[in-house]
Amino acid sequence: MTDHGHDHDHDRTVKPMVDEITDFEVLEIALRELCIEKGIFTAEEHRRFTEFAEQIGPTPAAHLVAKAWLDPEFKKLALAEPMTASKEVGVDWMEPTGFGTPSDFTAFQILANTPTVHNVIVCALCSCYPRPILGNSPEWYRTPNYRRRLVRWPRQVLAEFGLYLPDEISVHVQDSNQKHRFMVMPLRPEGTQDWTEAQLVEIITRDCLIGVALPKAGVTTNVITDTRPAVHPGTAG
Amino acid sequence: MSTAAERAAQLDLVARLKSAYPELPDAPTPDLLDHERITAYLKPVHDVGGEPDAPMKYEDKQYELWEHMTYVICEVLAWRGIWLSEERRRIGNVDVGRAQYLGLPYYGRWLLAVARVLVEKHHIGLTELSERMAEVKARYGGGLAGKKLDATPKSQGDGSQVKRNEHHKRAVGKGDPQVYAGQAGQPKFKVGDAVVVRELPVIFYTRTPEYVRGAKGEIAAVAYESPAAEDETWDRPATPEWFYVVRFNMSELWYGYTGTTDDVVQTEIPEHWLQAAP
Repeated sequence: MTDHGHDHDHDRTVKPMVDEITDFEVLEIALRELCIEKGIFTAEEHRRFTEFAEQIGPTPAAHLVAKAWLDPEFKKLALAEPMTASKEVGVDWMEPTGFGTPSDFTAFQILANTPTVHNVIVCALCSCYPRPILGNSPEWYRTPNYRRRLVRWPRQVLAEFGLYLPDEISVHVQDSNQKHRFMVMPLRPEGTQDWTEAQLVEIITRDCLIGVALPKAGVTTNVITDTRPAVHPGTAG
Repeated sequence: MSTAAERAAQLDLVARLKSAYPELPDAPTPDLLDHERITAYLKPVHDVGGEPDAPMKYEDKQYELWEHMTYVICEVLAWRGIWLSEERRRIGNVDVGRAQYLGLPYYGRWLLAVARVLVEKHHIGLTELSERMAEVKARYGGGLAGKKLDATPKSQGDGSQVKRNEHHKRAVGKGDPQVYAGQAGQPKFKVGDAVVVRELPVIFYTRTPEYVRGAKGEIAAVAYESPAAEDETWDRPATPEWFYVVRFNMSELWYGYTGTTDDVVQTEIPEHWLQAAP
């Protein structure tokens, strides 16, 4: 480990001596300016969507699962009408445009694990992910590597996340490549009897909702925590 | 100004970027290519499922400001009727070609798709864009030096003459795919039906993955109605069809599968790609 707590390969990280604006930054600013000047969208519309996008994250999804663990009726609703259930944790899939976040569409399904079935999601074609309720996908989820391998070698990939599944549990890989978005509802782990919703939410990490990890009493962080630095960090994600 | 040596060095760098079978010459004559290789060259490059790869270290990444701004601009363009998500997915994930697909960052491709759609749909001239890029670059000539990365439009257009799609109005209050509900008639298949994924020729675009084409599966859910991606992606009038979640047993799907015989992979497929299993 290095002195700043992660061990990415600095040699391959491009870091100019002068803090130069990058090619993509130049292009993004140029496009945004021209769009506003031509009335393709307004600065106000851009600001509104930016604010919306900055507040999405995995917390509502964790609450949804915790509620389902505590209330069998809510679990039934979550599986039968996931977008209705989402509203109870503050997520309206039709926001902010009136027809949702366009890239994510408005067809959501929750995949419930059972004692004999473990679900895990991937998008082998791009990075389809239930953004409105889980926030932005982690970088590794978007890599060609994860997308290539999970649909063919799921047990090996899960093992790399530290998840070793016995043969009695079958793996269900959901390749969400069209308009449906999926999320996993894991089983409530042992040792959480009498826990409150707030306590349960702590152990329902994003990785558990993707299906590369299982919730466990005492574990409140994702499996992957090493983080490559940004050249010019933003505030979201 | 660049020097002759700098220009030669950049050309040398580009010449080492390969995205072709190394055993074939550049632009091979037709007799050097077989059907399998032509299919490989024409394969939509986003379709990576099942391609062999070695384990790598998975890690997170801090979000760059421009990445966030790129995501936002893409969504705002869809909101305001400039493109459908399905156009964005094709332009940024497939039309870029293999070298850029594998060579550029994820959001770099999203951003190039924005430039591409605005130029192709005649909203922005390419020279106009290049000149603005040069201007932005010059604005930060000495480096950021404490300056914020910010767009400073010279005016605000009223936008009333901008050509927009129907979808951004039609879908309001309904959502997508719900906006297409009731337009595809009766679904041809029901849950439990055995189906085979057709092996239609593919050029330009599809979201039916290569790894299931020709394989036998079972209908796990009758999902929703929508135009197939191949039709919707060109934003032309297209008839919605039923989509199905199809379940494939991995021990049958994959040669040499090492998991259990109960493991499955499910993916969504439009009706015209499916036929009843014999």
